[in-house]
Amino acid sequence: MGEQMTRQNLQISSLLLVGIITFGLPLVLRSPTYLHILILLYLYAYLTSSWNLVGGFAGVLPLGHAAFVGIGAYSSTILYLQYGISPWLGMIVGGILAAIVGIIIGLPTFKMRGAYFALATIAFGEGIRVMVENIDYLGPFNLNGPRGLQIPPRNVGLTNLMFTTKEPYYYIILIMLVAVLALTYFISRSKLGYYLNAGGEEPEAAMSLGVNVARCKLIAMAMSSFLTALAGTFYAQFTLFIHPKSIISLDLSFEIAFIALIGGRGSIAGPVLGALLLRPVSDFSRIYFGATLPGLHLIIFGTVLVLVMIYQPRGLQEPLTRVYHKLLYRLIPEPAGTE
Amino acid sequence: MKILELKNLTKDFGGLRAVDNLNLSIDDGQILGLIGPNGAGKSTAFNCIAGVYPPSEGDIYFNGEKINNEKPWNLCKKGLARTFQIVKPFSSKSVLYNVMVGSFANKDKRADAEKKSLEILKYLHLEDKKDIRAGNLTIADRKRLEIARALATEPRLLLLDEVMAGLRPTEVDEMVEIIKNLRESGITVFVIEHIMRAIMALSDWIVVIHFGQKIAEGIPETVAADENVIKAYLGEEYGVS
Repeated sequence: MGEQMTRQNLQISSLLLVGIITFGLPLVLRSPTYLHILILLYLYAYLTSSWNLVGGFAGVLPLGHAAFVGIGAYSSTILYLQYGISPWLGMIVGGILAAIVGIIIGLPTFKMRGAYFALATIAFGEGIRVMVENIDYLGPFNLNGPRGLQIPPRNVGLTNLMFTTKEPYYYIILIMLVAVLALTYFISRSKLGYYLNAGGEEPEAAMSLGVNVARCKLIAMAMSSFLTALAGTFYAQFTLFIHPKSIISLDLSFEIAFIALIGGRGSIAGPVLGALLLRPVSDFSRIYFGATLPGLHLIIFGTVLVLVMIYQPRGLQEPLTRVYHKLLYRLIPEPAGTE
Repeated sequence: MKILELKNLTKDFGGLRAVDNLNLSIDDGQILGLIGPNGAGKSTAFNCIAGVYPPSEGDIYFNGEKINNEKPWNLCKKGLARTFQIVKPFSSKSVLYNVMVGSFANKDKRADAEKKSLEILKYLHLEDKKDIRAGNLTIADRKRLEIARALATEPRLLLLDEVMAGLRPTEVDEMVEIIKNLRESGITVFVIEHIMRAIMALSDWIVVIHFGQKIAEGIPETVAADENVIKAYLGEEYGVS
């Protein structure tokens, strides 16, 4: 018992250490370029963790999540530009709107399985992009079509979620990431988490055990699209410029899925691990080969994905967790006898 | 008190009538065996009762309440649980996880569900295997896991669809013991089975169907001696033991 406690203590203290390092990093790392890269890394880890609620736990493969990013970004931006409403409030509005859209999309598509579901969500994502690209005014709301929307950097500060330095963005997205990780941790251990996993793996068996599979998936979809939209607002406020091609792109939807599949879908650490591995590849290929070989990162992702699917179909989190546990057990060996 | 009643249950698949005007009822606390040749419509009847398909005609009553178009998850909450002929474990999850999914039907807290699940695993002698991934179990243990999961939902009526197929004789004997114990604990059991030795030893009442129709019913001895049953299913060599 006592030994178990120390093992647990070690785990908690290593988590704390990671926390201290990530929160303290901007004090040491002053370069805005590196902070920018880290912010995007956290953003993708956050997006993938949100995606994971549906794509991981519920066992389906949604490939249209960029649309929810778009809904979040456009909602808060339009509300801010046209009505002067704080993006924090716009963030919530966008989230709720995305959750409603998520449920509407989920109602017909969750009846489909495998590739059909994935295709339906791609169609939905692309549909939204094409619509936004071709609509200048949606009722009273100015979407500005393919030209996108620019947020003038006036009244900078926390209330308007706008900053001149990178550090505040870094802390906001880090807190969002920690929150979403905590949420997925609690969900994975809750009734809903068990029901989602069961319904994803063997829907018939799950139903016979009292699981309303369709309803569980809709709840997960609503949460996932809500959380994804929050990241959309963050992204809009971070870049202060949104246009349909960059924010509702298929590339973004795919990159989220790549990160999840390579890191390990359905696990809590998988999305973070995936982002940690893939984001640098993506950034450096853009920095060094952006002009000569655009899209190189997607080729690399594809290759890595094939290899991972062959050798570690449950994602890279699995072997790494095993190594971690082995290390943990070596550091604090099995208690000799029970007290 | 009848816990389950089928009245003129009929199920058509296109032009094929899988279950034809089936009438039967189970008393509370009974073990009822349903037998018949392959393709006789046994599993279809089960699927109608469990809410997988709505019946084409006829009515199903559970506890006096008509349940014709009830969804499987609601039936489960009412106290009707089932196993699948082709086992459907959540393969990538542990045995304990599998059973906990069932326990959550009546428990909301994880700790309660876990406690309940461990009790059931102990009862079915599966507690040593609680951390094994369900996909790695032997067929006998998978069948047992099906029962464990169903029991975790605290059923009043348990539908067992060929839980003994593919088991070794000693394992069949163990399973017979398990099912008898279930009845002792107050659960009504409805079994489909092909292993005559087991069904004869278990059932209080046996119903035989052939091409979807009931051809005989009665206590095991009567059914085993019935001419139609011997012709359609048991074969001439089957002797009453």
